[in-house]
Amino acid sequence: MRPHARHAGLVVQQLADETLAYDLERHRAYCLNRTAALVWQHCDGRTTLTEMATLLEAAEQTPVDEEVIWLALEQLRRARLLQEPVPWPVAERRYSRREMMRKVSLVAGITVLLPLVSSIVAPVTAQATTCVKSSDCSHCIGVGLPCCTPHNTNCVRVTHGCSCA
Amino acid sequence: MEKLDRLGWAAGITFSAYGLRIGIRVNNAEVLEQLLGLLPPGWKPSAAAVVDRLYSLISGGTGPRPTVRRFNLLYADAVRLMRTLDLAEVFTLLESHLQLYVAEAARRRLFVHAGVVAWRGQAVVIPGRSFSGKTSLVEKLVQAGATYYSDEYAVFDARGRVHPFPRPLSIRDETGRLLKKCPAQALGGTIGVKPLPVGLIIVSEYRRGSRWRPQILSPGQATLALLAHTVSARRQPQFAFATLPQVVSPALALKGVRGEAQELVDMLLNDYGNWPNRGLSSTDNGKDLRGDRTDATARTTRWASGATISR
Repeated sequence: MRPHARHAGLVVQQLADETLAYDLERHRAYCLNRTAALVWQHCDGRTTLTEMATLLEAAEQTPVDEEVIWLALEQLRRARLLQEPVPWPVAERRYSRREMMRKVSLVAGITVLLPLVSSIVAPVTAQATTCVKSSDCSHCIGVGLPCCTPHNTNCVRVTHGCSCA
Repeated sequence: MEKLDRLGWAAGITFSAYGLRIGIRVNNAEVLEQLLGLLPPGWKPSAAAVVDRLYSLISGGTGPRPTVRRFNLLYADAVRLMRTLDLAEVFTLLESHLQLYVAEAARRRLFVHAGVVAWRGQAVVIPGRSFSGKTSLVEKLVQAGATYYSDEYAVFDARGRVHPFPRPLSIRDETGRLLKKCPAQALGGTIGVKPLPVGLIIVSEYRRGSRWRPQILSPGQATLALLAHTVSARRQPQFAFATLPQVVSPALALKGVRGEAQELVDMLLNDYGNWPNRGLSSTDNGKDLRGDRTDATARTTRWASGATISR
């Protein structure tokens, strides 16, 4: 199993410990923590999961279970940062990040930095400005200002009262 | 547009703001003077013959008979934005439209929807959506002696410094309805002039009765928190990704639910000495900051008890 990272349609920015990625098609931005970033970096179509675990062990200077790599790949798959999804092995139990945290702490007695991919949806212009609620607009409060919803509407006067249009 | 051009225009102004050239023409010269107060902060008159955006305002005024009133019309290029009998409503829309256009299309500046004040040479940036309580925090901070920068946009340059955008504060009443515009001077505050590095980023939302127990955000997560309120995030993600890490690198970013604004302001300003100022310049972006963040946690414990590092 040699996962392959997706690079097309992404803007990538490396920080000291983290990696940021912006998906130009879905307008979602991702922050990969140190572990997730290391795994993503080595998704080159040549490195196996075992090799990844070894590389991560060397980088973190602590034993790393292969399940940590699986957890990272699962999160990268959900974020559509892999070219093709890597199927979780049938024999393996699928752990959540919280379960993994507990398991790793119990077994190793230490807490390694578990992979984490956080995401946001980039705002449309109107979401990043002061707006009026449509309920207020209907009472003609904030006439002339952008409405919070629906996007790209302003509070304007209509025949009877006001509305977002 | 040609039909609009053929109308009789009595006066106009061309100005530049944040690298954009904007024109406004009116059919009544008296109206133009009233418009000057609505232009984006930092505007400068321009002699450019070609503009990026042209607004046309037709003020209706009184009709041929006392019982007849004419509509006021506002256009952005050839698109009609508003048709109303109340000229004040046109002014409101023009002001907000101008600000939004500048924020979205500005060159070499990144606009983030946020409140900003300065405290002892560092900026405090409070990003958030409408109704998240940004203005309440800014108002209390200014009343407590902080220098006012903005209650609408944090304007960042490529080095990550924040510039003032000092339009009057839009203060709402308790129901969240827009109440009044209030200049910072009326709150006893002063307005900042110089660009400043960011010392503190507060990602918070007001919830009645809550206690401020923030989580410390990593630089990457702080970048995402700012990007979530960046006006041109979709239009220029490369510029946002290049700029925002410069903003967050010298700053401490905290996220949490807060109670009353005054409570948080007291904690922030009274314990200024405990602000974790890592003193990093923008060139230190590649440095491993984890140690500094742990140190930051220790130093913020007194006023942010229970703060945790987000991993």
